[in-house]
Amino acid sequence: MKAKTILLLLLAAAALSAVYVLVRNGSTPSPVARITRDGVLVEEINLNQVTKPYSFTLEDESGTNTVQVERGRIRVSGANCPDQICVGQGWISNAGLPIVCLPHRLMIEITGGGGELDGAAG
Amino acid sequence: MERPVKGAGRITRLALLTAIALTIFLAEAQLDPLTTAVPGVKLGLANIVTVYAVFVLGSGDALLVLSARIFLGAVFSGQMMTLIYSAAGGFLSWCVLCLLRKALTKKQIWLASPAAAIFHNTGQLLAAAAVLRSWAVMAYLPYLVLAALLAGLFTGIAAQALIRRLDRIRK
Repeated sequence: MKAKTILLLLLAAAALSAVYVLVRNGSTPSPVARITRDGVLVEEINLNQVTKPYSFTLEDESGTNTVQVERGRIRVSGANCPDQICVGQGWISNAGLPIVCLPHRLMIEITGGGGELDGAAG
Repeated sequence: MERPVKGAGRITRLALLTAIALTIFLAEAQLDPLTTAVPGVKLGLANIVTVYAVFVLGSGDALLVLSARIFLGAVFSGQMMTLIYSAAGGFLSWCVLCLLRKALTKKQIWLASPAAAIFHNTGQLLAAAAVLRSWAVMAYLPYLVLAALLAGLFTGIAAQALIRRLDRIRK
């Protein structure tokens, strides 16, 4: 009986997560990238207003991350952190998953800039 | 589940399990990640030992094996920074395993592993949220829940098979 309850809870968790993943992964109409370190905003870029690809380097005492920006998308192209997870995540262009560099406490998230409700559109 | 082993026998068994768990952990760390899109997703094969330890040796001894493996794993992989994430995840999943130990029969042990895996990943994510000082990382939770269910199912079935086989040897 207890096992059945646990199984049911696990299935519910799976269903909820699957629905969330599907809904969140729609395209973001007006993507704005927010780069934060220690929860403090470092840079905010409206990705649809980027005309020419460019890159810049963020640095603090823990190390460096080179951020590359193109129209509609952003990525970490290089970093001197030990795990290189942020580089491995590649480009992001929607509100699905933020890029995270835990060793440097750096995060790049994309917000919808107001149009987030119809995330499944387009 | 069986009579308790004391003294040198107990120490030997704890040391043996820690060595096995550490070996599995370090071997798995050498493999390429299953996916780079969602960081941190892995099978967590060393948790076969954790599940076995909780259900066969008991909660206390399992915590000893788990703590030793997490600490030595961070030392040997050279990434001490990962210690807080694995400690947060490990402790939370251990709590869940202890609760499930009483609720599940011997043939349902496999079910404990996916539940523990979900809480392991939740614990890691909470630690990451604390480091980053932002709740935005919680966007990872649904992905990590799905990954935990699959990986936990795998290690759970492996732990169940392990317990069944070892039972047969002892008879």
